[in-house]
Amino acid sequence: MASFIPSSADTLEDMLLYTQARLTQVACLDCLASVGVKKNSEHHTSIQWNAAALEACPEFARWDASPLGREIHQGCARLVASIDAAVREGHIDIGAEDGY
Amino acid sequence: MSDTRFLDQGAPPERFARGWHCLGLAKDFADGKPHGIDGFGGKLVVWQDTQGNLNVLDGYCRHMGGDLTQGAVKGDEIACPFHDWRWGGDGKCKAIPYARRVPLRARTQKYPAVVRNGQLMVWHDVEGSEADHDVLPPELAGVGTEAYTDWTWEVLDVPSAHCREIIDNVVDMAHFFYIHFAFPTNFRNVFEGHVATQFMESTGRPDMDGAGYGDEGLVLKSEASYFGPSYMINWLHVDYKGFETEVILINCHVPTGPNSFKLQYALCVKKPEGVDDATADYIGKRYSETFKEGFEQDVHIWLNKAPVQNPLLCEEDGPVYQLRRWYEQFYVDKADVTPEMTDRFEFEVDTTKANEYWREEVARNLAKKAEEDAATPETADA
Repeated sequence: MASFIPSSADTLEDMLLYTQARLTQVACLDCLASVGVKKNSEHHTSIQWNAAALEACPEFARWDASPLGREIHQGCARLVASIDAAVREGHIDIGAEDGY
Repeated sequence: MSDTRFLDQGAPPERFARGWHCLGLAKDFADGKPHGIDGFGGKLVVWQDTQGNLNVLDGYCRHMGGDLTQGAVKGDEIACPFHDWRWGGDGKCKAIPYARRVPLRARTQKYPAVVRNGQLMVWHDVEGSEADHDVLPPELAGVGTEAYTDWTWEVLDVPSAHCREIIDNVVDMAHFFYIHFAFPTNFRNVFEGHVATQFMESTGRPDMDGAGYGDEGLVLKSEASYFGPSYMINWLHVDYKGFETEVILINCHVPTGPNSFKLQYALCVKKPEGVDDATADYIGKRYSETFKEGFEQDVHIWLNKAPVQNPLLCEEDGPVYQLRRWYEQFYVDKADVTPEMTDRFEFEVDTTKANEYWREEVARNLAKKAEEDAATPETADA
């Protein structure tokens, strides 16, 4: 039950469009993590994790186990390399469709 | 006109967010007097007891509705100005001086309170859950010691906008150019669990005569995280014409009604080497004024804009929908929080094209200004 209540069904469609459309699953080349990726341009990247992917990532596990814990902004370099490879191999379409 | 984009204003939520909210600097409540704070659709009373603990209760007496914020602190309790009922920090009525006994049901609403980094935090949850200390903002090493200046504290009233407007700023790359007069050159968001973060690097615009962040000599590296629905810590590395300062800015708010909130901000500065305390305080005050200008520019927009449930985005915009999905977790019952709301999400905004266009616009503005200055005859002797 949404708390901010839209007054149009189209708004719910928009929510799905902006959060889920054009996400390509990219498997990490080094572990079992698989994440949703969208690239609206060369420099733009959107990465959607889920709990299973986060659990599978040994980099994140290592940071989680460190005394200071994991910094929220710490990204996984192996995953970034995997995404770059997926882009090179043409698995991910680069470009936005009407802003999403 | 079926091609016309519908602006869905929707309806604001009927509840206030679950989580920790900051009410102010702890030292400001430590004078043995009751303090009134507008919040969560009503009024809260804050006072310090004889052990030095800060207590927070609903501001209205459960007897006949007297205003406890106008009462008096008697011993450890807050006494109502109407009939002197005495309320303890645990929410129980401890004594009624004219009565044989206190009714068993004499319990009022208590807000669990914690002092963190010298600031008073209270837990709010319409479901009445136990305060979750695991989601408190982190302790800031060195803050509160000689290494940092004292917190400044400012409050801005926002009487006709929902506090989600200020949350939206987390992802709003472009408003930093138009509202705060800076070029955001790097911009990244990460949301995970109860934390939403913005990373930004920016340089001030040279065509704004120093208004807002509009000063070419002002280079910011900023990491700003919301810890829960209302409390942001912004770690700022400020380079002003080569003079570097570490600034910690707290940007927090308390909702006061379904469509209103108080925006509050606190700032402290790591005292630079070789700078005396008075100068360090002065630097802190100057930065506080700069950010005040920034917040006032935001407030002006919010008070005049429409709420939008269905923002229309372009490629250069940040992840507004994902941010709102994250924010939603604080407005549903704990049992209804879905994985999508808290799953990790990363978003790197492509700022290259935007900055190209903005540099051109600023160059045009500067050229126009130079032309106007050249065309204005000297009037000093006239």
